[in-house]
Amino acid sequence: MFTRRSDLPLDKDAHSRFLPWLIAFMVFLAIMAMAGMLVLNATASRWDQGIRGTLTVQVMPAEDPAKDDARLQAVLSVLAQTPEIDSYETLTDDKLLKLLEPWLGPASGSRDLPLPRLVDVELKTGADLDAEVLSRRLAVRVPGASVDDHRIWLKRLVRLIQTVEGLATMVLAFIALATVGTVVFTTRTGLDIHREAIEVLHLIGAQDSYVAGQFASRAFSLGLKGGFFGLLLAVPTLLGIGYLAQQMDSSLLPDVTLGLVHWSVLAGLPLVVSLIAMVTARMTVMKTLSRML
Amino acid sequence: MTTDDSENVVRFENVGLRYGLGPEVLQDVTFSLPAGSFHFLVGDSGAGKSSLLKLIYLALKPSRGLISLFGRDIATTPRRELPAMRRRVGVVFQEFRLLNHLSAFDNVALPLRVAGVRKSDIQKHVVELLSWVGLKDHLDARPPTLSGGQQQRVSIARAVISRPKLLLADEPTGNVDDRMAMRLLHLFEELNKLGTTVIIATHNSHLVEKMGFPKMHLDEGWLEIVGADTDRASVPPASEPGPGGGLLDDGDDDGTRPDLEKLF
Repeated sequence: MFTRRSDLPLDKDAHSRFLPWLIAFMVFLAIMAMAGMLVLNATASRWDQGIRGTLTVQVMPAEDPAKDDARLQAVLSVLAQTPEIDSYETLTDDKLLKLLEPWLGPASGSRDLPLPRLVDVELKTGADLDAEVLSRRLAVRVPGASVDDHRIWLKRLVRLIQTVEGLATMVLAFIALATVGTVVFTTRTGLDIHREAIEVLHLIGAQDSYVAGQFASRAFSLGLKGGFFGLLLAVPTLLGIGYLAQQMDSSLLPDVTLGLVHWSVLAGLPLVVSLIAMVTARMTVMKTLSRML
Repeated sequence: MTTDDSENVVRFENVGLRYGLGPEVLQDVTFSLPAGSFHFLVGDSGAGKSSLLKLIYLALKPSRGLISLFGRDIATTPRRELPAMRRRVGVVFQEFRLLNHLSAFDNVALPLRVAGVRKSDIQKHVVELLSWVGLKDHLDARPPTLSGGQQQRVSIARAVISRPKLLLADEPTGNVDDRMAMRLLHLFEELNKLGTTVIIATHNSHLVEKMGFPKMHLDEGWLEIVGADTDRASVPPASEPGPGGGLLDDGDDDGTRPDLEKLF
């Protein structure tokens, strides 16, 4: 006998039909922004850990290759006398050539190339070494030796990533605001269209929450519908980006793969957007109805 | 709350009403209706009958004066408590105000659903009441497919389904034939005998005279109660036939009189 679950014909509203589509695009954008943020966050924290207390000493090859070893030993002795340094390790030729591979390709395999000698230096925890001073000390002993302080440029990179992360957060906030605005507009239009029916419900003793509940559950179901559609669009897109990144030279790109936790967070976005839509619709109706007697 | 207030279902004291900056459509309206009374609200078109009813069913706020419903001053009653008061008032709107997307059954079920009544109880009462008003075969019909008279009966069924303490009807017999009009008035009268306070706004002076209940006469916004023993309307004893009893018993007791104890 009961033909309807809702007392208001909200499912017949033409104006609300675009809402799932709009939410689908919002969720798609939100997932892309969030995925970017998660990848950048992982990269930044990896880099941030990597740069803590490391630097590289570079010893340029001398005109006479026979002197290279002596120059390297001189550098190592300076490093050994520096109290802030915890350990150091000279990179082997193989490692060096591997580092050059992305730029020089197979040609990097040639042993005829005059390559600098590189020493990886690890500083003691909390040590505050002035790279400029060390560089000057080394240059005095070994002309052509220099210090490459990772901390400076990696810190800049991390700062850049953090800025991009901030921008992604702003994008997410704008998406949330746009969702709220759209739901408020849709709900107000619905309230206007169904003014007569709402007034009847009001006059026969319906609480505001009774009416608001109908709008809220409608917004929730539309939000969920749109949200999952957005998720369906986003998953292959992210997998595609991950696949392309793997095909590219991974040594030039940060790791863009997403972990299980990341995927779980992204999969929860449609639900979050639906809840935002539901709460917004409910608050809009409650606020509007509170103006009635 | 005074003793009077607890006895009166409706009390108006110097109530005035104006729409916007316009003239007062109701002026210094003062009356009180004791529980179980039956009144006709009469007056010319534009006299303010619908406005007075709207004030009683809490669709409007007065511009001035005091309105008390079921012994509570409306002005000081918190807004969240008004829905519970409205559930005690049944209203038959002049323009029916049925929800066109709902079936006749769902329209009548609405007050019970809003009040949180169980589905099984709703089912039983609504079908019985709709059968009684002659709409057994139209339970699933949408209002636009019903005639004016049928819509009016759905509207009346919706107003009385929750057995309100106060029933307000704005021209409830305007779209039905005489026989159905009598049938519906029987329903109101029986409800009244069970303790419901009834106010019926009508233009049908013939009907008013026949029924013999006191009249609330509105004339250009001024109210006068006619036909009551005192300034307050008298209450027809529940055990005896009301002033309209003769008319209702006049060979017309052929199933038009509802057995409300069974209905509700």
